[in-house]
Amino acid sequence: MMASFSEAGRVGNEMSVAVTRTEAEEQLVRQFAKVAPELPGGARVAELRSKAIAGFALTGLPHRRIEDWKYTDLRTGIKAAYPPAVCSQAKVDEALIRAALGTALAGVPCIALVMLNGRYVAKMPPRGQEAGTGWEFRSLAAAMGEPDRSWFWQNFERDVGGSESAVQALNTAFLTDGIVLKVREGARLELPIHVISITDAKSPVALATRTIIRIEPGAHATVIESHVGISHASTARQATAVTEISLGEAAEARHIQYLSGGADVVHLGRWHVSLGKDAVYRGFQLTAGVGLARNETHIQFTGPDAKLDLSGLMLGRGKDHIDTTLVVNHTTTGCEGRELFKAVLDDRARAVFQGKVIVAPEAQKTDGKQMAQALMLSEDAEFDSKPELEIYADDVACGHGSTAAELDEDMLFYLRSRGIPLADARAMLIESFATEALEKIEDETLREAARAIAVAWLGGATAR
Amino acid sequence: MLEIRDLTVRIADEDKEILKGITLTVPKGEVHAIMGPNGSGKSTLAYAIAGRDGYEVTGGDIRWDGQSLLEMEPDERAAAGVFLGFQYPLEIPGVATMTFLRSALNALKKKRGQVELTTPEFLKLIRAKAAELGIKDDMLKRPLNVGFSGGEKKRMEVLQMSMLDPHLCVLDETDSGLDIDAIRIVAEGTNRMRGPDRSMLVITHYQRLLDYIVPDKVHVLSGGRIVKTGGKELALELEKSGYAEFAGKAA
Ligand SMILES: Nc1ncnc2c1ncn2[C@@H]1O[C@H](COP(=O)(O)OP(=O)(O)O)[C@@H](O)[C@H]1O
Ligand SMILES: [Mg+2]
Repeated sequence: MMASFSEAGRVGNEMSVAVTRTEAEEQLVRQFAKVAPELPGGARVAELRSKAIAGFALTGLPHRRIEDWKYTDLRTGIKAAYPPAVCSQAKVDEALIRAALGTALAGVPCIALVMLNGRYVAKMPPRGQEAGTGWEFRSLAAAMGEPDRSWFWQNFERDVGGSESAVQALNTAFLTDGIVLKVREGARLELPIHVISITDAKSPVALATRTIIRIEPGAHATVIESHVGISHASTARQATAVTEISLGEAAEARHIQYLSGGADVVHLGRWHVSLGKDAVYRGFQLTAGVGLARNETHIQFTGPDAKLDLSGLMLGRGKDHIDTTLVVNHTTTGCEGRELFKAVLDDRARAVFQGKVIVAPEAQKTDGKQMAQALMLSEDAEFDSKPELEIYADDVACGHGSTAAELDEDMLFYLRSRGIPLADARAMLIESFATEALEKIEDETLREAARAIAVAWLGGATAR
Repeated sequence: MLEIRDLTVRIADEDKEILKGITLTVPKGEVHAIMGPNGSGKSTLAYAIAGRDGYEVTGGDIRWDGQSLLEMEPDERAAAGVFLGFQYPLEIPGVATMTFLRSALNALKKKRGQVELTTPEFLKLIRAKAAELGIKDDMLKRPLNVGFSGGEKKRMEVLQMSMLDPHLCVLDETDSGLDIDAIRIVAEGTNRMRGPDRSMLVITHYQRLLDYIVPDKVHVLSGGRIVKTGGKELALELEKSGYAEFAGKAA
């Protein structure tokens, strides 16, 4: 995915000829100049930030004439850039977590690492039950000030962004904090680590956070990342959120993202996942009602025989726009990839699925299957699906498919003929559609929490 | 009592009338059979009674217990006591059979102004009824009809019927695709439902089923019309002579 210099240059030239900066782009560059001196990290980080914003200044926000952003135009999606969030004084307790996550997800036992308005604030529960001893974490702001942590720096500097990714660039430039997490070799964490990023500002704000996770060889861990607002605060936020997760040999990770917040949220996410030999990675992305979401996931197999299962459920209504973009890069032999994304779309909501699977000549015995399905609850909803297979090896089994369908009238009639009222019959069928995706979450407690979130959201979609 | 009078039904979006004036009465306590060749309109009649969208009633009336069904939604008809056993039961992935039956039963109880069953009551009832029909517990946990064999689906229809306690039972080719043992099980299940306050309409293409569910009357449907009505011996006649005799009359 990393563009070469010549490509970046070409894109840059094209851009500078074609367009003038939008208001939002100008604001972002100006904001950076203003806040840069207060951002965390030493000279090394400051240099990366400058490089990133310079790259961004060159290309601006991605728009529909850039192939990867054909269906998601940030120039029109982001009219004005919100000011960076400032620290919150809110008390971090169970009540706050519940208000932000809802009771179902808040009830899932975990070690919570809480971020408020883009800053790490607390680990909960602070005492008592622990996830086990085989892990350590620090805030990203702290890690940026520690020059000696080589694996952190490798990850941090690997992809600054710049002209090849505006999202990565804005994240690098404005990064306030995040979580750096290491699960040590062979460790098995008993509880999930839940990174909860809550926005409680009184007015619209921008956030830039990053999670860097390293699962060492043979270690097993579950990481949940939630990006949520809180009902009594402003619901408008613009966030860039980057997650880097690397799995060592035979490591196993379950990685779940929950994204919500409503029509005024812009969430630009990027996941980079690398899987070592025999590693197992199961990712799930639940997006429930977000005005503009882009979840871009880049998967890199670095060792043979690893297994990937990446799934998600996109729930949209109103004018929600939810974009899932995957780049799965098979560069080594015998790896398995399974991707299943489902979307439930009401009103004028739109979901985008772009799934690119690249199988390099040396990636023989690759076994890849991809499926994207949308359930259209309204005639005005839209689903754009672009699966892409680029296969350069000959001994592989790869397939993909994509469907968009309305609720099945025959099934509806069948249920109604048994006495189930229309609204309930619709809800049943919608839930049944979502279930296949939700079942990708292996842990029952987590799966049921995700289902409860989906069902609650669907309750609003079907009660018409 | 089911009273169908001069019923004409058209498939929406298509010009042709499928049912061309059906008149039929099934008093309480009686079982009537509808027989007829493929395409004669048997399922159309069943769907018209159950209220399926797209089957447009262009004339006549369907009354149950003195009340017209025509303005009622399918779920309201179910609450009024109507049950349709489908010729092709649908597979509903992701909805466990047990959950589905519970929702249906509770929805009906609510609409009928009855108290909902408690979980233990529900489980006891469904286990007893399932056992009668040879339906195993694990089938109840599976998604509704998904991966069930033809025979299992039909048994599930009869289980639903016996759970939901309807008073007008319309069974559309519940025997098709079944071997003789399965037919017997399904017929026994249906016969258990017979009673003085129920009306039943058993639709079948073959006489075979009527050896087990002995009807009070047999109606022959051909070309969208009832061309002959008789006693149970009419079914045996049809078995010998086939439907060819009626083809002309229907035109
Ligand atoms: N949904 C439909 N759309 C178009 N034609 C239909 C539809 N349902 C039934 N028909 C037509 O109506 C006629 C009667 O069909 P049906 O009631 O299914 O007959 P039977 O159950 O007796 O075999 C047939 O000619 C059939 O093709
Ligand atoms: Mg039929």
